[in-house]
Amino acid sequence: MDIQDQIHDQLSRRNFLGQASAGLGTIALASLLNPVNLFAGTSASDNPTVGKPHFPPKVKRVIYLFQSGAPSQLELFDYKPKLEAMWGQDLPASVRNGQRLTGMSAGQSRFPLAASKYKFSQYGPGQMWISELLPHTARIAGDLTFIRSLHTEAINHDPAITFFQTGSQQAGRPSFGSWVSYGLGSDNQNLPAFVVLLSKGRDGDQPLYAKLWSNGFLPSVHQGVVFRSGPDPVYYLNNPPGVDKSSRRRMLDYLGKLHHEQFKRVLDPEINSRMAQYEMAYRMQASVPETLDISKEPDYIFDMYGPESRKPGTFAANCLLARKLVEKDVKFVQLYHQGWDQHGNLPNDIKTQAKSVDQASAALVMDLKQRGLLDDTLVIWGGEFGRGAYSQGKLTRDNYGRDHHPRAFSVWMAGAGVKKGMVYGETDDFGYNVVNEPVHVHDFQATILHLLGVDHEKLTFKSQGRRYRLTDVHGKVVKPILV
Amino acid sequence: MIRLILAQASGAAPADWVLFFGHFHPLIVHLPIGFLLIAGLLELDRLTRRNSVSSHTITLILFWSAVSATMACIAGYMLSLGGGYEADTLNTHKWEGIGVAVFAWIAWAVKSENLDRIIPFAQVVYLPALGISLLLLLAAGHLGGNLTHGSDYLTQYMPPPLRTLAGVPPKAPVFKAEPITDVNQAMVYQQIVNPILQTRCVQCHNARKSKGGLRMDTPDMLQKGWEDGPVFVAGKATASELIKVCLLPEDDDHHMPPKGKTQLQEEQIALLTWWIDQGAPFNKKVSELKVNDAIRPVLASLTGGGPVEAGTAVAATSRTDGPAPMSPMLTMKVPAANPTVIEELRKAGLLVLPLSKEQNQLEVSAVNARNFNDTQAALLPKVSNQLVWLKLGDTDISDAALAQVAKLKNLQKLHLEQTNVTDAGLKQLKGLTNLEYLNLYGTAVTDAGLADLAALKNLKTVYLWQTRVTEQGLAALKKNRPDLDVIGGINEQEVAAFSKASLPETKEGEPKKN
Repeated sequence: MDIQDQIHDQLSRRNFLGQASAGLGTIALASLLNPVNLFAGTSASDNPTVGKPHFPPKVKRVIYLFQSGAPSQLELFDYKPKLEAMWGQDLPASVRNGQRLTGMSAGQSRFPLAASKYKFSQYGPGQMWISELLPHTARIAGDLTFIRSLHTEAINHDPAITFFQTGSQQAGRPSFGSWVSYGLGSDNQNLPAFVVLLSKGRDGDQPLYAKLWSNGFLPSVHQGVVFRSGPDPVYYLNNPPGVDKSSRRRMLDYLGKLHHEQFKRVLDPEINSRMAQYEMAYRMQASVPETLDISKEPDYIFDMYGPESRKPGTFAANCLLARKLVEKDVKFVQLYHQGWDQHGNLPNDIKTQAKSVDQASAALVMDLKQRGLLDDTLVIWGGEFGRGAYSQGKLTRDNYGRDHHPRAFSVWMAGAGVKKGMVYGETDDFGYNVVNEPVHVHDFQATILHLLGVDHEKLTFKSQGRRYRLTDVHGKVVKPILV
Repeated sequence: MIRLILAQASGAAPADWVLFFGHFHPLIVHLPIGFLLIAGLLELDRLTRRNSVSSHTITLILFWSAVSATMACIAGYMLSLGGGYEADTLNTHKWEGIGVAVFAWIAWAVKSENLDRIIPFAQVVYLPALGISLLLLLAAGHLGGNLTHGSDYLTQYMPPPLRTLAGVPPKAPVFKAEPITDVNQAMVYQQIVNPILQTRCVQCHNARKSKGGLRMDTPDMLQKGWEDGPVFVAGKATASELIKVCLLPEDDDHHMPPKGKTQLQEEQIALLTWWIDQGAPFNKKVSELKVNDAIRPVLASLTGGGPVEAGTAVAATSRTDGPAPMSPMLTMKVPAANPTVIEELRKAGLLVLPLSKEQNQLEVSAVNARNFNDTQAALLPKVSNQLVWLKLGDTDISDAALAQVAKLKNLQKLHLEQTNVTDAGLKQLKGLTNLEYLNLYGTAVTDAGLADLAALKNLKTVYLWQTRVTEQGLAALKKNRPDLDVIGGINEQEVAAFSKASLPETKEGEPKKN
């Protein structure tokens, strides 16, 4: 028997059973329960994956400014005067409490406490502590919501980022943005629901892998699409020389017919997925240049995001692109900025690093606000874990380093659905352990999904015999921070 | 075995095996019903027609009728030991059941040919015995149904004319709690706790059916508790059986309400817990109890909004409050939009997005329809019931379109940024009293237009960046509507100052240095 026939037999039988039991029944039931579902279903052609929130959402769009490498909360947000008082003394064993350290500092004979070299002040109606490294961020303190008590399970970058972005330390699960795309669909059928922006790293930065924006086992239309600054934002999107718009259209029409034939034979849903992506790419040939056109932005807007915003590929330029994307209702914009992994020479490196993000992050929030977008957009700023209270390597007044620290770290959010000016969670005097209102990564994910109108326990996908969620079997919505 | 059962009857709780067999009663009981009716019908057939089944067959059926009726009696008695049934009905049902068995045995005995030879008058007894057995069967069956489903089960949905004929009292009104207008003044037991108990518990814990010996239909009976003691410890919800059984996993045998019945919602459990923690008072108002931050939003949701300011309440701190209830525009029930209208909107290039799975409210967005114009705006009022969020920013519309938008009475968010709307258009929006969000940035709106906005009572945020509004106009609006959040933006001069900031400045009143 031809292998093709075998596939055919197998799939058509499975397909028949599936359709007979689930398909017709579901349609009948859906039309009985909620007639609105029906017209939503029939419009599948212009929006192949219309998902709907479980309840009316507070947040329609997310911009996640991911700070890869783990920014030190002790130099930026979590003010700990006790570290100054105990500078150079050993981290008390009662505080470390047997905490597992990385191989990079576990062998140290001493763990001298290092205080932040940078000063802190309080800002905004919430009187939140922000370091002098982030003067622009301090200006928008009134719009920020801080979580000081995040904690995670991983201690190294790759598993920790993977955990934050997919809910599992092992690779292979769908990314946060893919879940959102799958669960909620797109609010603009001409652009992908999940867009990824990468700002250029320096040599030696922790690498980022495409698995972080992978669709995992979800249909591949939900994969994050990487946009770049400059004349060619999406790889291979433009027509090659000699191919014009109409011949591209004809080519797609014929290809569509071939794909349709193929689908009838093997019934692989990925074929439809692929066709949807080709069509999306075709629409994007027009929508992407229009959306990302920054030539009409006035100078003072560039000035607001900072001088680097004119340089394609920088964090600032990507913040501006992120705004352009959410203006067009892209659901989930995931930005990655590398370079926060300061094991040594921290005081100098973090200064440069903070400077590269501070103004643009604040400008993005301000810009969204004046355009009325912050009302239903959530901006998230944070890394995969924090950094420890003791110095990695030699401690001097001017120089020290900090190792990875998963037990407590800070993120901020700004925008829809969260209480402005609120600081949630508290760490001990060393910024080492959470003492009040802990927030686990899964809780954080559950909260963001909740804001998007999604019950994290109901957003599931069955793969290999079990139903998966972004929050696995955990996660509790952090209700006190919600408006 | 009989002795065993009797011993059980006098003792406390029956053994598991007794109840196990007892639970077969509803199954076994249908056997004599079927057998006896068949015997009766065949006998009727024999009386009216010549050639029919042999009397031997009927004897056999009668024998099994009697056997199964006896077994049903035994199982029924075992079931009754479990308790929870109304005593009088149970007693009558029991004797009727026994009667069925006895008369079935008699009917069999006189029908069987052997006995016929010994007792001469047997034939005379046969038909009456079978008849009595059948009548008792109907009576016992009816009472059995009443015991299981409640005495009003059969007549619950009886149409009014039949009711008068049958002498059944008119349909009892469904329990309806007194609606709460001001939650602070609400009676805690009467208006909050009792309605929960009535809708979720009383079905099985009432005067006629008191499972576990518990009745929850009156305060007295609730305080009396169940067969093992009180069901709540005033002031200690965590030690109260009432709360514990609700919190057990649904699969647990002791979980209440039992698996399959409508479950209590989290908020309802929270309310019961709060009530017990507050000493389970039966005559107090919400304002006389302590309202903590956890229960405040739940209480507030009972009325659908409004602040809860209980007398001795712990002061509200914003940090532990849960999310505020959603705008009624987003949660109220509206009919589904007409699919053909939706299709028309789509043809005009608009995106029509349902707000959520459960509701029919819609968001309509012109994000991909920059040519959307005043003529097409006439489509919008066709979904005026459903449309709550409308995005018309950066399109070709002008004031004429706002005449149509003004008909969208349920509108909660309206995007008009970067369009040609002016003050004249804004005037028409006065009737949009549910509007909370209005985006006017990049329009030619002036101070004159702002004056009209003040009339929009529910408006919370208005965006005025890059408009012709002046400082004086803003000041006037803020004075008129201090609650309104007016969002401007940054201009060229301010950008220069903003981007210069390298180290935080200490402005007066703003940050304080450590």
